[in-house]
Amino acid sequence: MGAEAILRVDGLSMYFPVYRGVLRKKVGEIKAVDEVSFDIAKGETLGLVGESGCGKSTTGRAILKLYDPTAGRIELQGKDITDLEGDALREIRTDMQMIFQDPQACLNPRMTVGSIIAEPLDEHTRLKKRQKRERVRELLNAVGMNPDFENRYPHEFSGGQRQRIGIARALALEPKFIVCDEPIAALDVSIQAQVVNLLEDLQKEHDLTYLFISHDLSMVRHIADRIAVMYLGRLVELAPRQQLYTMPRHPYTKALLSAVPEPDPAREAVRERIILKGDVPSPANPPSGCNFSTRCPIAEEKCRRETPAWREMDGGRFVACHMVQ
Amino acid sequence: MKKALLCSAVAAGLFAGNALAERGSDGQLNIIYWQAASILNPYLSGGTKDIESASMVIEPLAHYDETGTMVPNLVDEIPTVDNGGVSEDLKSITWKLSDGLMWSDGTPVTAADVAFTAEYCLHPEGGCQQASNFTDVESVEAIDDSTVKVNFSVAKPFPYGPFVGAQAPVIQKAQFENCMGAKAPECTDANFGPIGTGPYVVTEFKANDVVSLKANPNYRDAAKPAFATVVFKGGGDAASAARSVLETGEFDYAWNLQVEPEILSKMAAAGKGTVVSSFGTSVERLMVNMTNPDPALGDKRATVEGGPHPFLTDPAVRTALSKAIDREILVEVGYGEAGQPTCNVLPAPAIYASTANDACLGQDIEAAKKLLDDAGWVPGSDGVREKDGVRLSILYQTSTNSVRQATQALVKQWWAEIGVETELRNIDASVFFGGDQSSPDTFQKFFADIEMYTNNFDGTDPENYMANWSCKEIPSPENQWLGDNMPRYCNPEYDALVAEMSTTAKLEDRAALAKKMNDMLMQEGAMIPLIHRGGVSAHANSLEGVRMNEWDSELWNIADWKRAE
Amino acid sequence: MLNYTIRRLLFAIPTLLVISFLIFAILDLAPSDPTGNLPLTIPPEVREKIRLSLGLGEPFPIRYLKWLQQFFINEPLNMIEQWFGITIGDSENRLRVQSWATRSPVVDLIVERMPQTLWVVGMSYVVGILIAIPIGVISAYKQYSVFDQVGTFISMVGFSVPTFFTGLVLIVVFSSTLGWLPSIYDTTHKVTDLASFWFQVKQMIMPVMVLALFNASQLSRFMRASMLDNLSQDYVRTARAKGLKERAVLLIHVLRNSLIPVVTVIALGIPQIFGGAIITEQIFRVNGLGQLLIIGIQGADIPLVQTLTFIFAVLIVLFNLLADIVYGILDPRIRYE
Repeated sequence: MGAEAILRVDGLSMYFPVYRGVLRKKVGEIKAVDEVSFDIAKGETLGLVGESGCGKSTTGRAILKLYDPTAGRIELQGKDITDLEGDALREIRTDMQMIFQDPQACLNPRMTVGSIIAEPLDEHTRLKKRQKRERVRELLNAVGMNPDFENRYPHEFSGGQRQRIGIARALALEPKFIVCDEPIAALDVSIQAQVVNLLEDLQKEHDLTYLFISHDLSMVRHIADRIAVMYLGRLVELAPRQQLYTMPRHPYTKALLSAVPEPDPAREAVRERIILKGDVPSPANPPSGCNFSTRCPIAEEKCRRETPAWREMDGGRFVACHMVQ
Repeated sequence: MKKALLCSAVAAGLFAGNALAERGSDGQLNIIYWQAASILNPYLSGGTKDIESASMVIEPLAHYDETGTMVPNLVDEIPTVDNGGVSEDLKSITWKLSDGLMWSDGTPVTAADVAFTAEYCLHPEGGCQQASNFTDVESVEAIDDSTVKVNFSVAKPFPYGPFVGAQAPVIQKAQFENCMGAKAPECTDANFGPIGTGPYVVTEFKANDVVSLKANPNYRDAAKPAFATVVFKGGGDAASAARSVLETGEFDYAWNLQVEPEILSKMAAAGKGTVVSSFGTSVERLMVNMTNPDPALGDKRATVEGGPHPFLTDPAVRTALSKAIDREILVEVGYGEAGQPTCNVLPAPAIYASTANDACLGQDIEAAKKLLDDAGWVPGSDGVREKDGVRLSILYQTSTNSVRQATQALVKQWWAEIGVETELRNIDASVFFGGDQSSPDTFQKFFADIEMYTNNFDGTDPENYMANWSCKEIPSPENQWLGDNMPRYCNPEYDALVAEMSTTAKLEDRAALAKKMNDMLMQEGAMIPLIHRGGVSAHANSLEGVRMNEWDSELWNIADWKRAE
Repeated sequence: MLNYTIRRLLFAIPTLLVISFLIFAILDLAPSDPTGNLPLTIPPEVREKIRLSLGLGEPFPIRYLKWLQQFFINEPLNMIEQWFGITIGDSENRLRVQSWATRSPVVDLIVERMPQTLWVVGMSYVVGILIAIPIGVISAYKQYSVFDQVGTFISMVGFSVPTFFTGLVLIVVFSSTLGWLPSIYDTTHKVTDLASFWFQVKQMIMPVMVLALFNASQLSRFMRASMLDNLSQDYVRTARAKGLKERAVLLIHVLRNSLIPVVTVIALGIPQIFGGAIITEQIFRVNGLGQLLIIGIQGADIPLVQTLTFIFAVLIVLFNLLADIVYGILDPRIRYE
């Protein structure tokens, strides 16, 4: 690793209250994110993978303070931003941005592309009108779009183009850290690679740090330096890419990886799939002990009793499992 | 607007410089009629609201006062046979205008104007709505500038139709000359602002909304009217009109307060105004169908050819139905100050009112039952009386109106007590009273056994009214159902009395005849009178001079109204 | 957009002709009679003459064609003459649409009624909108808060309690008991100075508030729903992620987008203003177009009812078109060809 951590997340939890009944009484909470801790080094890409509903996106949004986290601590560039509010929070937003999953929905349909990209500039900079326009054209150019498109509306573009606009928008304020929340999930496969390559190029050019959230293990393998695996609101394993793919330790990681097809037909033929039994439990009512214990092929009595600790192993690997030594 | 302001400024200046400072000294008079005036030409509208609002501006030769007595208005005396004003053969009447009468525009009123008024209304294409006041008028001639003679084609024992009462005011020839016949509706300016002799002149007319008036600078009594301006506001409903006089005091006079008696007395308790009532000739009555309304008769339904009614032709049934009704309760529930029980279809003026039928005033269920028992109507298994397979089952119709529906419900209950079954029906007033030939629901067609409504007559003379129940007035397909004899009552004796009255001139004799006709109708049960209905109005306690009048416009003496000291 | 507008307007012509025919036919078939409300003392033969003088003697198609001619040719010609002070052809004998009850041109009556209706009903619409939008915005932004609950309750009350009741309550309280406000609207009142302006305000307060409450309760619910819809959109989160101020997020992003459907609803509701508010106008005696219509209906004044209803139909068609066009302008995703 070596480089200093640009982002440090410690014990981050995000619970959503559940209301029921006529008087909307609080009857419980959904533990969307539960005690998640990790660091991201400057210039690094951390992949965050897991099944849908496991809390990946919530983690991303909570880090960017789009939600108010229930517990834990978030440090950006050494500064605690957990409890920032109002203007202080808005100021810090210039350093962290997000690229959203649905490029259609996240662009205001009534604004032109130019004004969508320029809006953060209006808010956070004192550029003149002409300078802003130049910057917008520059950004459009940077994401591979014709700068003349600035006067068009989002609905006039294809999904891939819209995602580029979203990326241009995120880059407008030259952030240090970007959360990419499934940026390619809604795109055609043919477009996905283009967007991922664009993200990689931009990373090199602007020295960006990414938290890359995805359920697509092969795409994460392509872009991420390290990969964190999430299950039911908790991290189960975090390891450098190579280590994780060649030697997964956590039974859930193993099961996930066994589902990824191998490009080599010979190896694909002998690939052994681990089929998990049962459904993912409800985050409103997680099992006691290890979250994964209900579906784990190697779970023991202890797993159902005690929540496994997030332990650091050799080689920068973290695992939360009683069975891993 | 500027012009109006200027006018009133000039007028004010005139009054100020004038020694007769009393005219216009009492400020503004606010009148509310919950039906708004649509037009100020009574010859083009029969609506009471239109006639009464116009009565502030245009006037007849003579008014009826609140007792129904004629009083001279634009003349010095009422012409009679005795003073030579009415010819011996009863075929003409000569009116002599007072001296020095002026229209509000300053020109003199002449006999030519009076003659023109008749010509205007008698024009065949004009659709004159007061034509009945000019019935049998052959010609009206101006003998000289101030003398006008009305010639009738027949002997008229009561020649006071034309130019007497608010329905037949005199209009100015110069203004309406080009508005005769088919052109009448096109003269909007004249119809909205007639030039008259009355105490007020129109300054602004907003149809169906409000009339603004100011004192007539040329009014014949230099000291009158007391108010400088009048606002005649229309619209809304009777209850809120009553409230604006009795509770909020925003208005000085409210007309025709058909409000539940209880509510009205509560409002009056606020002490700002007084409820006044007066009784004319309106009687709420049940018409009894003497013909058979059975739908099976097809075209002959409810006609004389269709045959007599299966059971209402039995006098015992008609009497029993009347006896079962408690008229006091009906008054209490629906009319209050505005009604009193009556047993006559002709209850007023006093000289015509009979007392021979007053037995019906008290309810007597037992007597009614006995009558039916004696006549052979015995209760069937369901309690409804029957005889020879005919059940006493009545279809009872009236117009849609909450008081009428309450009355219907009460009557139904009383009739049930004596073993008569009643089916109630109500029809929208504009259909019920509208003479649409194609509608089966009009009161003329009378496709029911009993129907209820109010009728009255204008003025004080009942001759035409009583003639309504002669045989030739029976509505039928032959006369397009136009006829006023709804019960289809036909009695040669009665017709003879009608004929006799049309040749009798002496008032006492006429009164005796009218009473006799009334009694005949009542005792034969062609109609069952219920309520003698009066008008109820309210005026502010600060308003003096109101003499509530049912025989003429309620505003007939508005020139005398003034602020209380 | 221009082509689209012209095409829509052309299509509206046959539609409106059919509507005018239907209105005429329905009014003709309705069993009401212009002489029905006259006193019974007016004899039947006089009634028949009155009917003939109103033109009822002619067959239905002739009457309809006459009305068409009067409304579509004579009235516009008359209007042009009045505006430019010129005379076109035989204007003396050109028959305008005449009301049976007042025997005056219907269009003049309508023009006379316009000011009070536009003032009172129009003002209530404006006030209603001004109340509804902030309530809707705050209710949605603070969904399920006390403000939202109270707002919902008031909306339900405003919507479900009829105006004749709220009107009466206001009159009893402010006119009868307190004596602060006049219960009867003075249509002849002219505003010339501050005092008369104050009187105008006083006499407008009650009718305007009664109607505004009614209008606002509908619109605020609509505004709230539209806001909620947009608040949960992703672009709102994007806007927050951009580091915009919460005010800017709400006003620039959410409110503007939420207003699109609301503006359409407002435009569609404008013909109602011209229709007047029959009940409120009756209660306070504002005597606007609504009262004119109801009097016309009660008195079987068919030319008046026909003309008024037809004008309403025209307004509804036009404002429907306007709403569509406004939507197209406000929402770049909509394009009319």
